[in-house]
Amino acid sequence: MGIFKHLLDKRLLTLVSFLLIAACLSGCAERDRQKPEVLVWHWMTDRDPAFEELTERYKNQTGVKVKFELYAPSDAYSQKVIAAAQAGTLPDIFSILGERRIFASFIIAGHITCLTSQMNADNNAWRNELFSNALAVNEFSTANQYGVKAGIYGVPLDTMNIQLLYNKDLFKKAGLDPDLPPVSWQEFIEAGRALTAAGIPGLVSGWGEIWMIDCFASNLAWNLMGKDKIIATIKGEVPYTDPDWITVLSLFKEMADTGMLAKGMITMVNKDAEQAFANNRAAFAFNGSWCVNVYRGMNPNLNYATMMFPRLSDEHPVVIWGGAGASFMVNQRSNNKEKAIEFLKWITAKQQQVYLAQTTNNLPSNKDSLSAIAPSLRQFADDMDKTVHPSLLPAGEHPLVIEAFDKGIQSIIIGESSPREIAERVQRVKDRERR
Amino acid sequence: MRDSVKRKIKNFLGQSGIHLFLILVSVSCIFPLLWMIGSALKTQQTVFSDMRLFPAQPHWENFYTAWVEGGFGIYFFNSVFYTVTVVAGIVFISSLAAYAFSRLEFPGKNFFFLMFLVAMMIPLPGSFVPLYVLLVKLHLVNTRIGYILAMINVGLSLSIFLLKTFFDKLPKDLEDAGRIDGCSKFGIYWHVALPMARPALAVVIIFNALNVWNEYILAMLIFSSKSLMPLQRGLMVFQGAHITQYPLLMAGITITVLPIILIYLFMQRHIISGLTAGAIRG
Repeated sequence: MGIFKHLLDKRLLTLVSFLLIAACLSGCAERDRQKPEVLVWHWMTDRDPAFEELTERYKNQTGVKVKFELYAPSDAYSQKVIAAAQAGTLPDIFSILGERRIFASFIIAGHITCLTSQMNADNNAWRNELFSNALAVNEFSTANQYGVKAGIYGVPLDTMNIQLLYNKDLFKKAGLDPDLPPVSWQEFIEAGRALTAAGIPGLVSGWGEIWMIDCFASNLAWNLMGKDKIIATIKGEVPYTDPDWITVLSLFKEMADTGMLAKGMITMVNKDAEQAFANNRAAFAFNGSWCVNVYRGMNPNLNYATMMFPRLSDEHPVVIWGGAGASFMVNQRSNNKEKAIEFLKWITAKQQQVYLAQTTNNLPSNKDSLSAIAPSLRQFADDMDKTVHPSLLPAGEHPLVIEAFDKGIQSIIIGESSPREIAERVQRVKDRERR
Repeated sequence: MRDSVKRKIKNFLGQSGIHLFLILVSVSCIFPLLWMIGSALKTQQTVFSDMRLFPAQPHWENFYTAWVEGGFGIYFFNSVFYTVTVVAGIVFISSLAAYAFSRLEFPGKNFFFLMFLVAMMIPLPGSFVPLYVLLVKLHLVNTRIGYILAMINVGLSLSIFLLKTFFDKLPKDLEDAGRIDGCSKFGIYWHVALPMARPALAVVIIFNALNVWNEYILAMLIFSSKSLMPLQRGLMVFQGAHITQYPLLMAGITITVLPIILIYLFMQRHIISGLTAGAIRG
C-alpha cells in the first residue's frame, strides 16, 4: 500500500500532478520552424540587431538562412564555446575569446578551418580587402611558438585601436590651443601641468584594468627602443633593468609627479574612466575606438578629438595598440563549411561593413569602407596603419612578467616604489620564469 | 529615585543606540534598491550627471521600453515556470532523501550522505563542461526538462543537508504515535515529519527560488533558443561589450527583483510562524 495509499492525499496528489504536467510540458525540445543553414554564435549584444538585419539581407540575396545566436556576457560565451568544443556541438561559425594560446589549442584540436586558400584565391582578393593588421591577429606564421600549421584561421569582423583623446573645451579653459594637441612627450607633460594649474584633471583611463597600463607602456617602449629591443627583452637578451626600460617606467612617475593623472585612476575600471571623460571631468583619455559609441551615448555634445601618441624619440616610429576587434572562425567539422565561408566573405565585403560601421560605430575590417564612416570614427581608422599587437611578435612575454610590470607601474604611480625598484622586481620574476 | 532615572536614561541611550544602528543598517540595505529605481527613471545622459536619487523628470516609459526591448514577456513566463518546477522538485526529492538519511538504516548511508556533502563543495562553473557533455549525450540540450533536471541537481545537496539536520533534531515520540495509529513509513514522513519541518522547508524554498530566479549561466549553456531562456537573458540585451544602457538595465532589474521580493515577504511570514510554532512546541 505505502505510497499509493497516500496518493489519495490532496496535497501529495497536487504536487505529483504538477510535477508530471511540468515534466510533460518541458519534455519537448524547442524546434525551429526553419532550421538555419549557417549557425553563428556571438557575444556582441550591441551588434545583435545589426546582425539580424544582415541575415535578412543575406537570405534575400542568396536564399541561405543564417542565424546569429547571442550568448553574453563574454565570459559565459567562452564557457559555452569550450563546453561545445568538448561535446562536439560547435556551430558553423563562432569566435574564440581570450589568449592566443587558446585560439591555437582550438586549431590543434581540429575545431577551426584554415582559410588561407580562400583568402589567397583570385589573386588574394579577400585578403586584400581587409586591414592587414586585423588579419594578422588571425594568422599563424611558420614555426610559431604554438606549433600551429602556418595559415589564416579567422576573419576579422571589425578592427580597433587604442589612442589618446583630448577634450577641446577643457583645453580652451586651461588656455591651451584646442586645434594643436601635444605632439611630443614634453608638450604632453606641459599640457598636463597647464591643466593641473587650471584645476582640471589631466589624463583618465581604466588603469585598474592592467592591460590598459600595458598598452600605454607598450606604446612608450616601442617608440623609445623599437621592436627589436622589445623582442630581445622578451627573449631574455636585454634585462628589464636596462636604462630604456627604467625610462619607460620613469615616464609614469613623471605623469604622477605632474599631478595630471585623474584621482583614483589606478583602481578605475575603463567604464568609470569613460564616464569621467564623457562628462568633462578629464582633459585626456586613453581609450579604444569603441569609445565613439560610448561617448555618444553618455554625452552627445562632448567636444573631443583623437591625437597621436606623444613622440618620445625620433629614432623609432610611434605605434599604437590595435588590430582585430571581433573575429569569426569556421568550424572544421561543420557540414556547411562552404556556406559559412561564403557568408563570412559577404559580411566582410564593403557594403555590409559600411552598414555595420554606421549602425554599431565600430571600425570596419574592410579597407574600402572607410570613406562612408562617421568623422569621429574616421580619426581612429586613419591610424590603423600605425597599429601593432603584442600577440603578433615572434615571442610572447610570460603573463607573470607582464603582471609584475603593470602592477609595478601602479605602484610607481602611487609613490610606493621607484622605477628602478620595479625594474629589478620585474627582472627577478623574469629570471624565475626563465628557469 | 535617582537610580531609577539613571537606569531609565541608560536604557533610553542603549535603546537609541541600537535603533540608530538598525536604522543605518536598514538604510544601507534599502539605498541600493532606491538607487536602482531612481536610475531606472533617468536617461542615458542624465544617469551620469544627475546625482539626485529621484530625477526631476522621471522617465516611467523606461519600464515599458525595458519590458518590450528585453522581450521580458516570454522570459518572465519561463523564469516563473523554472522556479516553480525546480523548487517543487527539490522540495519533494530532498525532503524524501533527507528523511531517509535521518530515519532509515541502509547500507552505505553515510557514504552517500558524504557524497552529497562533497557535491556541495564543487562550484557550478567547475561542472559546466561535464554537465553539458552529459546533457548532449542524453539529448537534453536546449530542452526545458534538461535545464530543470540540472537545476534540481544543483539545489539538492544543500537542501538535503539542511532538511536532514532538521529531521535529526525532531523528537521521535510523535512518529511513534503515528506508527501506533497505523501509519506507514511514508505516512509518517508525509503526515508527521514534513508538516513539522515547515521552517526548514521555507528556508529551502526561499534559497532555491532565489537561486533559480537569478540563474543565467547554466541556462545560457544549455539553451540555444531564445524562447526557452529565463528572465536574466532579457537583462543582457542592455549590456553591450562596451556600452551599457543603464536606465533600461535598472528598469529591467527592478522588474526582475519584484517577484522575488514578494516571494521573500510571503515566505518570511511562514518562517516566523514556523519558528514560533516550534518554540511553543518545545
